Amino acid sequence: MKIVSYFSDADEIAPLAAAGAGELYCAVAEVPSFGHGVLRGPLKTAVDKAHRLGLKVNLAANSMRRTYSGPQARALAGSLLKAAEAGVDGFIVASPTLFELFREMKSPPAVPLHLSSVQPCFNSRTARYFIRAGVSRIILPGQLAPAEAAGLLRECLAAGVETEIFDYRFFGCVYVNGRCNLHDPIFHTFTSGTEGASLCRCGAKTAGGLRVKPVAADPRRAAGAAALARRLYARMTCGGPPRLANAAAFFDFYTGGVQYLKYGVRRDPPELRLQKVRELRAILDLAESLAAKLPKAAAKTEFVGRLAGWRGREGGRK
Amino acid sequence: MTAKGIKTGTMTPAELKAAGALEAALAKFEWFYVGAEFCENLLPAPERLRRTAEFFLGKDKKVCVLTPMLTERGVRSLAKFFRSLRRCGKDLELTVNDLGALELARECGFEGNISAGRLLYDDLFRLQRGSLQLVSAQALRFFTRQGVRRFEISSTGRQLNAKLGPGAPHLTLYYPYLNITSARTCLLGTPEIPPHVSAAGIRCRRECLAASFEVKHPLIKEPLLVSGNTVFMHFPKQFYSSEKTLKAMRVDRLVYCPKP
Repeated sequence: MKIVSYFSDADEIAPLAAAGAGELYCAVAEVPSFGHGVLRGPLKTAVDKAHRLGLKVNLAANSMRRTYSGPQARALAGSLLKAAEAGVDGFIVASPTLFELFREMKSPPAVPLHLSSVQPCFNSRTARYFIRAGVSRIILPGQLAPAEAAGLLRECLAAGVETEIFDYRFFGCVYVNGRCNLHDPIFHTFTSGTEGASLCRCGAKTAGGLRVKPVAADPRRAAGAAALARRLYARMTCGGPPRLANAAAFFDFYTGGVQYLKYGVRRDPPELRLQKVRELRAILDLAESLAAKLPKAAAKTEFVGRLAGWRGREGGRK
Repeated sequence: MTAKGIKTGTMTPAELKAAGALEAALAKFEWFYVGAEFCENLLPAPERLRRTAEFFLGKDKKVCVLTPMLTERGVRSLAKFFRSLRRCGKDLELTVNDLGALELARECGFEGNISAGRLLYDDLFRLQRGSLQLVSAQALRFFTRQGVRRFEISSTGRQLNAKLGPGAPHLTLYYPYLNITSARTCLLGTPEIPPHVSAAGIRCRRECLAASFEVKHPLIKEPLLVSGNTVFMHFPKQFYSSEKTLKAMRVDRLVYCPKP
């Protein structure tokens, strides 16, 4: 399993490689993407630098928030061709606009397409749909359990399509990426006027004052409704509902053959990014060593136990 | 003329009758939207879904089967449903909220019309409080090439200034609830998952059917409505003045949702 890390400056590339990143991705201003920040400096310089270190560079092109007139769509196609000429090794895509744009180009760039989690793929038929549309890698949404993903992983394996998961410790949202308008106040209004990033984890605790009231309750289930109201209150003030992504799930994805592990927090400053990649490398090293020396079930138990007490002091490449 | 529909969702005709709502619904609405739109844990069993669809078809009503985001479990259930449809396949419409359902419908030889559901509207539209814009001509072609001709959106509580351009698609507008976000491990129903457990899936007990919940969130000015795995906003006021205004938005079908 390779670690895929975001970078925003060519100067980060060598340290990230040394920390254990096996692949990189970035964003540029000319190609809209999902997330914050873009690469400082020319894309080609960064790509060349990464290639000299044996690292591939993917470009995030997974915006779902943009509209394109005819000329704007043509300009986007031009930007993607330029990125291909700069040597990028993959486009991370989500919007139907891009899939169709590539299909309609007379000479589409010969760059692999990675299906972003922003266009979530939860099953083998969605995988089949996008494999036919040309993707060579599927980035799995964080809200999918390994057991649920078994059919999807088989579909990808049979088609020679790679798979990627997000790291569960530093990244993840309750809501399904690409199907969420909570952060974008296009229908509602934030009290503070800011984005309300903690909404991801329900976030009510920070400001206090959450109120929950049952409506349209089924009279036959009144007691159940009251219990649910208490659960909803607790979950909205304490970090949200349970998560499928945890240490056990990570280990199952690892042994299930998922090839890439993405550290996906683009907002983090470079120093923190480096620190987290080191952490992920150490966790992967642990998974690799346990899987190599113990039977699968015992290795998983040991891995989960070690991760439960993990405080980030157990290694990582310097 | 704008067609009028009602989302009866997971309720069977017998349940609607027991609630005293069946006769009024049959008298008032031409379209019946059955199934589960957002959560596969609420997807009725294939046989129950088929019987519900056939009941309304037997009453000379038009039926659209709603399908949610799907994991492999939902794919298996939906495949069984499609295989059971031999008698009424052409008369049914299907709404997909997962492109895997579109793929599956094709594999199973589903013959009816297919709509792209409300969980997919960001793929095609930029929908905001007062406006509706097509993302691109390419996005529209992406869907129409697959035979999808109708698209579903939620009412935002206002008349929409629609900029859809030539060849604009047919729209179905749901009211009075607007879906803002959806989860898989929902806030209401998912049992706790210990950190040492790699979950086999969502062990849902359908507790969410007990009620919806109004939430006054300290970070958001408007009240939210949590129902099942989805968070909604509620816009109970009339949002259009005439058929003409709906036509200007390319809306030719309205679907009333008694519940979110």
